[in-house]
Amino acid sequence: MSLNSSSRSATSNSNSKRSVTSNSNSNPSTSGNNSCRNNDKRNRKRKTDQNQKTLGMAWGANSRSSSRSAFRNSPFPDFGSYMVMKNQKLHQQFDADASSSSVSGACSGKPIFDGVSIFVDGYTVPSSQELKGYMLKYGGRFENYFSRHHVTHIICSNLPDSKIKNLRSFSGGLPVVKPTWVLESVAANKLLSWIPYQLDQLASETKKQPKLSAFGFKSGPVLDDLEESISGQAVPQSGIATLRTSCSLEANIFGKAECTEEVEECHSVSDDPFHPNAAESADQAPTYCMENHCEVELDAAVVVQSDAGYHSHISPCQDPKSDHNDCLEDHIIEESSSSKTIRPSTTGHSTLSDANFVENYFKFSRLHFIGTWRNRYRKRFLSSANGFKDMNPSRNAFATSQKTTIIHVDMDCFFVSVVIRKHSDLKDKPVAVCHSDNSRGTAEISSANYPARNHGVKAGMFIRDAKALCPQLVILPYNFDAYEEVADQFYDILHKHCNKVQAVSCDEAFIDVTDLRVEDPELFARAIRTEIHETTGCTASAGIAGSMLMARVATRIAKPDGLCYIPSEKVDDYLHELPVKALPGIGHVLEEKLKKKQINTCGQLRLISKESLQKDFGVKTGDMLWNFSRGIDNRLVGVFQESKSIGADVNWGVRFNDLNDMKDFLLKLCKEVSLRLQGCGLKGRTITLKIKKRRSDAGEPVKYMGCGDCENLSRSVTLPMATDDVDVFQRITAQLFGYFHIDARDIRGAGLQASKLESADRNMRGHEKYSIRSWLVSSPARKSSMAKGKGDQLYSDIGPPVQARGSFSGGEAYVAHRATLPALHDLDVGVIESLPPEVLSEINDLYAGELISFISKKKEKNAGNNVMDEEQSLSNPLVPPNKDFVHNVAEKIKSSEKEDEQYINKMIQGLPETSGSVTALLPETDSLMPSSLSQVDSSVLQQLPEELLADVLESLPAHRRPDFMSNDVYLDHIRDQTGAIDFLPSNNLWVGNPPRWVDNFRLSSCQLLNRIAVLYNKSSPRGQFSSVLQLIMSEYPLDDGGDDAVNCLCELMKQYIKLKIETDVEEIYTCSCLLRRLTSRSELFLQVYNCIIPHLQAAVGETYGGDLNICFIE
Amino acid sequence: MERKDNNQAKAPQGAGEAARILTEFLEVAITCIIFLKGVYPHGAFERRRYMNVVVHRARHPQLRDYIHSSVNGLLPFIQKGLVERVVVIFFDNEDFPIERFVFKVNLNLSYGSKVEQSDLEFSLRSFLIKLPVSESLTKLLPRGCRWEITAYFRALPEASTSKDSELIWIPTDTKQWQQPPLITPIKSMNSEPLGVQLYLEHPSLSEPKP
Repeated sequence: MSLNSSSRSATSNSNSKRSVTSNSNSNPSTSGNNSCRNNDKRNRKRKTDQNQKTLGMAWGANSRSSSRSAFRNSPFPDFGSYMVMKNQKLHQQFDADASSSSVSGACSGKPIFDGVSIFVDGYTVPSSQELKGYMLKYGGRFENYFSRHHVTHIICSNLPDSKIKNLRSFSGGLPVVKPTWVLESVAANKLLSWIPYQLDQLASETKKQPKLSAFGFKSGPVLDDLEESISGQAVPQSGIATLRTSCSLEANIFGKAECTEEVEECHSVSDDPFHPNAAESADQAPTYCMENHCEVELDAAVVVQSDAGYHSHISPCQDPKSDHNDCLEDHIIEESSSSKTIRPSTTGHSTLSDANFVENYFKFSRLHFIGTWRNRYRKRFLSSANGFKDMNPSRNAFATSQKTTIIHVDMDCFFVSVVIRKHSDLKDKPVAVCHSDNSRGTAEISSANYPARNHGVKAGMFIRDAKALCPQLVILPYNFDAYEEVADQFYDILHKHCNKVQAVSCDEAFIDVTDLRVEDPELFARAIRTEIHETTGCTASAGIAGSMLMARVATRIAKPDGLCYIPSEKVDDYLHELPVKALPGIGHVLEEKLKKKQINTCGQLRLISKESLQKDFGVKTGDMLWNFSRGIDNRLVGVFQESKSIGADVNWGVRFNDLNDMKDFLLKLCKEVSLRLQGCGLKGRTITLKIKKRRSDAGEPVKYMGCGDCENLSRSVTLPMATDDVDVFQRITAQLFGYFHIDARDIRGAGLQASKLESADRNMRGHEKYSIRSWLVSSPARKSSMAKGKGDQLYSDIGPPVQARGSFSGGEAYVAHRATLPALHDLDVGVIESLPPEVLSEINDLYAGELISFISKKKEKNAGNNVMDEEQSLSNPLVPPNKDFVHNVAEKIKSSEKEDEQYINKMIQGLPETSGSVTALLPETDSLMPSSLSQVDSSVLQQLPEELLADVLESLPAHRRPDFMSNDVYLDHIRDQTGAIDFLPSNNLWVGNPPRWVDNFRLSSCQLLNRIAVLYNKSSPRGQFSSVLQLIMSEYPLDDGGDDAVNCLCELMKQYIKLKIETDVEEIYTCSCLLRRLTSRSELFLQVYNCIIPHLQAAVGETYGGDLNICFIE
Repeated sequence: MERKDNNQAKAPQGAGEAARILTEFLEVAITCIIFLKGVYPHGAFERRRYMNVVVHRARHPQLRDYIHSSVNGLLPFIQKGLVERVVVIFFDNEDFPIERFVFKVNLNLSYGSKVEQSDLEFSLRSFLIKLPVSESLTKLLPRGCRWEITAYFRALPEASTSKDSELIWIPTDTKQWQQPPLITPIKSMNSEPLGVQLYLEHPSLSEPKP
């Protein structure tokens, strides 16, 4: 029987406040405590000792185990009461903090730690204060003093042996968890099971002697570890693989590739600097910089800093034989003909026209190659490098006793000589490497060989200038594959000869030969140079000296293709005339400063005392100047400098039309950085976003697609946990970008950087399994559930971990889903249409906006004409199908054209299923809003409690209201077009969220109506007019608004009745009762009431066959 | 029990489940109305819990059975979306209705997704909470009055839908009001796929007294 079963289900479900629980024989406050945290707080304050006991019982199973506790309050009555007071105060402070942080809104997160109360024992990373912060932010509690009754989890990193042995009395049976549990819960934005995060000492304890529980729990994490170690290896490998493929693609362009397909593909994505012919065919490309189309250069500022000047040395080349230009031209013609078919639509050199801009950008960036080379090197030679690192300590000991010998080896104009090593005919010709060789000549030369340098050609010069200096200059493209190959050979040789190698760059290294006790370092260096020349076909210069500094100076002298030995006694002579600029660590700025002091050479520098140098340039720099000018360099060979940050900057070709472009671009940047991090096996805690913003007075830069004169903006955020996850990056980045309040069209460059790097291996335990990504990706069931319209639930589940941000959470799902996005035509339009509007627009974003058009196409097929379309949208649950209504709409559409258009627009924007069209309209509205409040912020607002939201909205100027009310914005837009409308009597005042009338009222001249609009935002539940009326009841005084206001309110009520009469007669009744009560307060409401009643009775009569139990008021 | 017979014209899963929940709810709610109106002594009921609210359940097997079987007999019709209103009519010994508790049912048959009791529980519970406090809205019943459960259909059910339910339902003898009644809404809910509105109907003031 149903009653029976129901009563059973009721007892099991004892969580409600209302329930009279079966175990309520203890005092009432305890049962309340069990159910409601709020009560709990209050009770806690006035609880007595005896009360605590029952409370302890009420807490979860964990606390039940032992009644004895080492942390019992002190037996001394006075001290004990002191502690009671202290705890009480601490709780109050915590509550106050928690409430204040929740008021500040933006920084408070989803209460994932609801019901969790932690006690931090001993030293932890992050500190207990940080943990407390997270608890505050995410709804948990933090206990300063251990109490078995309050605490639910003990957080610690390490436990003394005595506590381990006597765990029970220490923890009182509560879980002892590592702090990562908190961090990862925050990152995953849900409360994770603490079991995998149990303290290692305890976990290993259980391993020694497996207990029953171990079979249940432990097998999971162990498996995970295995998986992790596998995936951990896989990631870096794939990183290399992508690098390789990109390089080989590039190589194929210029080496005559056999696989034409690949060449074509390459061309379709690359920028084809060598095809002037192609410009015509590419004219259709939809960019506003079309005529400049064919030219491209890259200027990547790869964040892994590299010495960009090292290749500007001079070396002679030999064997000029045939005219390479001819051969190049042949090449061009051949290729352009082969690739003509695909080129026109796909080529593009800015973020505007090329979807894969970021990828290609880095694929063809030299500086990027240099930057990423380091990782490659580290992977390849890491073992040997480690080997001699271990020897390092001993080195110091005899470094003092023995004279060190250091050789600096540097390839001669590496980037050019590698490219021409197989073209012996070019050796003596002036050759420069550049990304592009087009007629405009605004591409920058990245490296020139010595014959070219003799003509005055320098790196960084525009090609047209270089050509002016040296008309016969041959311009060649990069060949990254070859660079890689030669660099590997180079280091193979060095490592063969000596195990103390410090890589500076791909073509430059120090080796320490002290330990080898070579009798003649010159001979040794010569041997190396010869071998390098024989193996690679390129020349290298070497400098030998007693320190790294002097070795480098020696190489400078030796260049090109030479050898220089500076014995320690000659150091002074060499340094004396050396310009200060030549010293490492002295750049333009420092050089200028020194020049002002009339210091040009090291000799002059030496005259200044260390103290005054330190005074002028700071302690460190002064020290460095003093030491270097004396040839003193204490650096040791072999210290491989770890990258401090990893990131990706794009400062060339960055042009956006609107925010969506920018968002896409940021996503790609995030992917890039994430890939790089994964490639290095590192994770970053601090994420920095840098934006180059065009100065308002700056025009188009001289350099084609360059960044020009820019303002550099940057913002960063530090996460609780290091990450290399694309989703997290994307979320944070969008958030950071939101802070800039910047017009997308002014952006000239962007860079994303991860710093505070940590090794990915650390903290890995359990991570892979609990990371957001795996959580999302590994559950196809969730995906399908999303497709079934429960997407919103999914989104709320993975809400924002760090800072509240709804659309981010969408973004997470977004990325995860992207990989397996079903084809557009596989989608069921019916399902899509019934999705909530936010989800729909999210999915629409996934499909790059094609979804909406897809839907509308489908709809066009279904519906014969426009009116039908309207009808369809009307049958949406928001507006119950009503023949009258539809009829009105149809009529309205026919009536007047202008109004018609406007009307349809309004219809559309109010209806959820077509919310995509709102998104489509956004670009327009962007220009209205100061583009600052992007969807980022709005989603934050959406998550705010309604009252809070109302306050926030009130304080926002009208035109800056966020676009989760894009309806609103759009309305504003309409209003701007049509002039201020006081009130437009139309049939859909209640359509939209917030309903249209709210806006109309807000803009009205009548104060009362304004007030009502404001109250609407404060009312809860939202959307019920009765709750608005209820608020009006408490307003005082009520001013009258005249006939206009009466009409407005009447119309509003009439439409409301129409809307609700079918489904919610209670609401109508409540409204009329409230109205009735208001009549005694205001003449206006009396008029409204009497105006409404006949209408209401008619409606009720029609639907319910009776009269509502209310009457006229005279 | 009756569900077994309901092979033909089955509503989609979601609506079907909602109909089942509705009948269960109606059974409880009607019992509560009977208790509220004090037709029987309070001792005839016992306190139970349904949807976490205290409700009353008839102790007398016959009373219990009447409510149970009549509401459950409606189930197949509800599932087909035929039932528009379920009304508890209190009438005097001349069959003149004094007060009517009307449950207006609106079931979206095309609703396909799964419906859990917990989805509707929140809304339905509010009826059970609101009912006891609406006593003031109701009329005091005269002595010797009776009551019945009447269902209003949107259309006449086909002849041989199910034998059981046909046997249960008989035409009512209760008289109709001449004038449109006065309506006092008590509670409304409108969620997918189920919308229920409970309101009171009293004879209009101009209704000719018998």
